[in-house]
Amino acid sequence: MSEALIRQEPVSETPFVSEGIRISLAPPMQRHALRARNAEDLERLLKVKIPTKVGTSQGGILCLGPDEWYLRSAMGKAIPTGEGLPLAVTDVSDRSICLIVEGQRASEILMAGCPLDLDQFAVGRATRTIYETVEIIVMRDAEDRFHVEVWRSFAAWLWMAMTTAARH
Amino acid sequence: MILIHCPYCDEKRPEIEFANAGQAHIARPLDPSGQSDAEWETYLFIRANPRGRHHERWRHVHGCGRFFNAVRDTVTDKFETTYKAGEPRR
Repeated sequence: MSEALIRQEPVSETPFVSEGIRISLAPPMQRHALRARNAEDLERLLKVKIPTKVGTSQGGILCLGPDEWYLRSAMGKAIPTGEGLPLAVTDVSDRSICLIVEGQRASEILMAGCPLDLDQFAVGRATRTIYETVEIIVMRDAEDRFHVEVWRSFAAWLWMAMTTAARH
Repeated sequence: MILIHCPYCDEKRPEIEFANAGQAHIARPLDPSGQSDAEWETYLFIRANPRGRHHERWRHVHGCGRFFNAVRDTVTDKFETTYKAGEPRR
């Protein structure tokens, strides 16, 4: 009764390309939800600097809230669990996928559904927000490149909404 | 669209990211079993419904996820101020 485990992506693996815009699926990666009262506890565990200002990112770690971080890392990288420490490290790798939105029209297409003023959103910033009715995490990777994390079950709809916005 | 200042994110964010969570500064009685039915009813259900300045709890649900308190005018829908949960009433 064994069946091969095949990874099925909820959106097209062929990038959507149009004038000034390219929307593509990011390769699989590891994601961890980090919770702790003190950022220092996480710094000691992960041995990296943790951003403490809500809405910023540093070295693949996003500060989503005063006690909540989101760590994105390459597949296979060992992440300590912090057993016994006053913190929680939870593997949520397959909860979401990442869409890379790039090109000169990237912020315009995101702002078609996201109420944030992304023109004022500096490179390196990252926050949880909403795209029409779907919760997303948006990161500005470069002046014309954003990473959009979305839960798998919402991904097909988000892909349809963003590609529709891009066609207009 | 109304912009609401989130005291945890420390910036103004669009209204759609927030959820109202009812009247603020309602402390749960320390000894629930010592309460009369009327007192318990008051704690559970009886809320102020002012015309004008109102203290409310809000949650930045599609953002940092935090609950905070706000003073909003129920007539104009203007937010006078917002402050972190646990801080004294303003």
